[in-house]
Amino acid sequence: MIRKGLAGGSYKPLTPEAISRINETALRIIEEIGCEVNSDIALASLKEAGAIVDKEQRRVRLPREKSLELIGLAPSEVRLCGRDEKHDIQLGGNRVYTGTGGTALYIYEPDTELKRPATLDDLKKIARLVDKLDNIHLFLLPTYPNELPFEQVDINRFFAGLDNTTKHIMGGIYTLDGMEQVIKMAETVAGSAEALRERPIISMISCTISPLIIDGEYGDLLVAIARKGIPLVCPAEPLCGATSPITLAGNLVVQTVDSLMAIMLTQAVNPGTPVIFGSVATNTDLRDLKYIAGSVEMGLLNAAGAQMAQFYKLPFYATGGMTDSKVLDAQSGYESAITNLLCALAGANFIHDAAGLMEFAMTVCYEKYVIDNEILGMVMRAVEGIRVDDETLAFDLIKEVGPGGNFITAKHTRRFMRKEHYQPGLSNRDSREEWETEGKKNTWESAAETVRTILDGPASSLPDTVRQQILAEFKDIVA
Amino acid sequence: MPEDIINLIKENVIQGRVTQDDEGIEEGMVGQPGVTELIEEALESGENVSDIINQGLTASMEVVGKKFENEEYYIPDMLASAEAVGAAMEILSPHLASSGIKPKGKILIATVKGDLHEIGKNIVSILLRGAGYMVKDLGNDVEPQDIVKAVREEKPEFLGLSALLTSTMVYMGETIEALKENGLRDNVIIIVGGAPVSEEYAGSIGADAYGADGFQAVAVVEALSSSASDDK
Repeated sequence: MIRKGLAGGSYKPLTPEAISRINETALRIIEEIGCEVNSDIALASLKEAGAIVDKEQRRVRLPREKSLELIGLAPSEVRLCGRDEKHDIQLGGNRVYTGTGGTALYIYEPDTELKRPATLDDLKKIARLVDKLDNIHLFLLPTYPNELPFEQVDINRFFAGLDNTTKHIMGGIYTLDGMEQVIKMAETVAGSAEALRERPIISMISCTISPLIIDGEYGDLLVAIARKGIPLVCPAEPLCGATSPITLAGNLVVQTVDSLMAIMLTQAVNPGTPVIFGSVATNTDLRDLKYIAGSVEMGLLNAAGAQMAQFYKLPFYATGGMTDSKVLDAQSGYESAITNLLCALAGANFIHDAAGLMEFAMTVCYEKYVIDNEILGMVMRAVEGIRVDDETLAFDLIKEVGPGGNFITAKHTRRFMRKEHYQPGLSNRDSREEWETEGKKNTWESAAETVRTILDGPASSLPDTVRQQILAEFKDIVA
Repeated sequence: MPEDIINLIKENVIQGRVTQDDEGIEEGMVGQPGVTELIEEALESGENVSDIINQGLTASMEVVGKKFENEEYYIPDMLASAEAVGAAMEILSPHLASSGIKPKGKILIATVKGDLHEIGKNIVSILLRGAGYMVKDLGNDVEPQDIVKAVREEKPEFLGLSALLTSTMVYMGETIEALKENGLRDNVIIIVGGAPVSEEYAGSIGADAYGADGFQAVAVVEALSSSASDDK
């Protein structure tokens, strides 16, 4: 059974008072300090929506009531559709989904313990792999095709996704022109422009820059995507001690301000356009200020971010599930598990980067997708919690079996055993003797077998007529 | 008690305390004189300037460096200590000539055109000041022509250029070209740095040297500076 969209929220690192204080501080920053907006169009849009603009400094401030009004325009639920309806996702409330993330530049190969530049072919293969990994619910384009010219990257990345999995495709965008091509292509796949808005099979990401900056190019992209009415994530990436205060509360304040500013911009441009509150908040290695992807603080920050998004009634894009390890070792497992688990238990709507990523988010690994798929299966089971009612308490059954009896043959056991207990797809539960006879395989070796099986199996390609139509129209696509 | 005050300066550099208002690593230091107050006091009491520099400042930065290597200190600790030394050198600079100490060279530093990333460049500036250099920071997103103008006017011994993006590091090369066109290239030693930059790339755009991080930047400057060659 596939667990997705289950309600989290049992883990709450922030008290209601803490949430209120973070909110108050964030609104005060937006009102008193403001943000620097380096995109002309973004600056003009915010001004038109009622922001107070200091043109000289490019500083934008919003009175508290104005902020709340603009935030209130954003929808509290965002639907992300798969090419196949069974993969549809409804982000909002405290329902939890998981997905891949990126954008990594390298592929790690565990058999040689080396990494190499990622290619377009890798992106296609990872899409095929994730298509069959049930605990990963959404495909966020995870790698950058190093061999392609910059202007061909957007269309090829999204085509690689759409042509290899029927799950929803989300991705970062590099150029305005690329963004327009990608939307046109998705309209062809969906059937029409309206059909794509009705069932958005793609969504896009455009970042803000912490602390307190909307960038020129990314700001232009944010505005353009919002105008197109395509679901959009605007993540902020405050790093403790570098681009935010060292304290977790200070980081959450910066994260909240930066993400809210982008959300307000999208609502100023196109009221009601589907937008997702995004967090890539984490800390740094205090020895060299390097970005850290597998820390327990990252788990705490993104779990708390989920509470903030729930407070604003905005769908949430969290970051969790990565590791800073360079190989598939114990660190790789525990860092991915802890960060994913904290986010999921807090009810983060969409945990991105939840599978495949290692080494400061620079590298992905085929085998790690399979390993993380297992972690996510266990995490989602934890989210599901424990059902307590007459049927599960089983008084009558215990009475029937009585002292010294057993439950192996009870109908009750068969009725509940698959529902109540997560069945591992990867973890090894063999006896030592069996494990030795089977070749003493460690986790990544078993995962490598799953990768081979899936990549040798059938692909979820686009219907042939649609595929031909797209290839004829977009000559830059490397099929 | 001359020895005591030098020891106090040393201790406070290690604690990263610029003024009496600063906290140290240890508790309860707020209110006690920091490095700037101690330097003033040392000058008033006629302490030898070169003793202050060598035994008070340089020796303490060596201790700080060791603590960093031993993973006892983090980057913010290093920077606080370097800032304390920078502040001390500023107070001491009018007294260098009369004490027969040759001042260390002037350094211009900038993040190049199109690039807004300044954290790395700022760290390098603080560490260079901490090593006793006079650093003028031109800011970020600096046009090649503005750098040319600054080199012409300030006549620095070194120029440091920084870029964090592969898309902006090309402007380091353009800046060097602009200096050539204005006949200023050979007046200054150019050192480049930033995440996407490498030794090889530095060579390909005609820079003199490359620093992988703040500490290496200081080491490279120390090795190439004229005061270093004088000592040989």
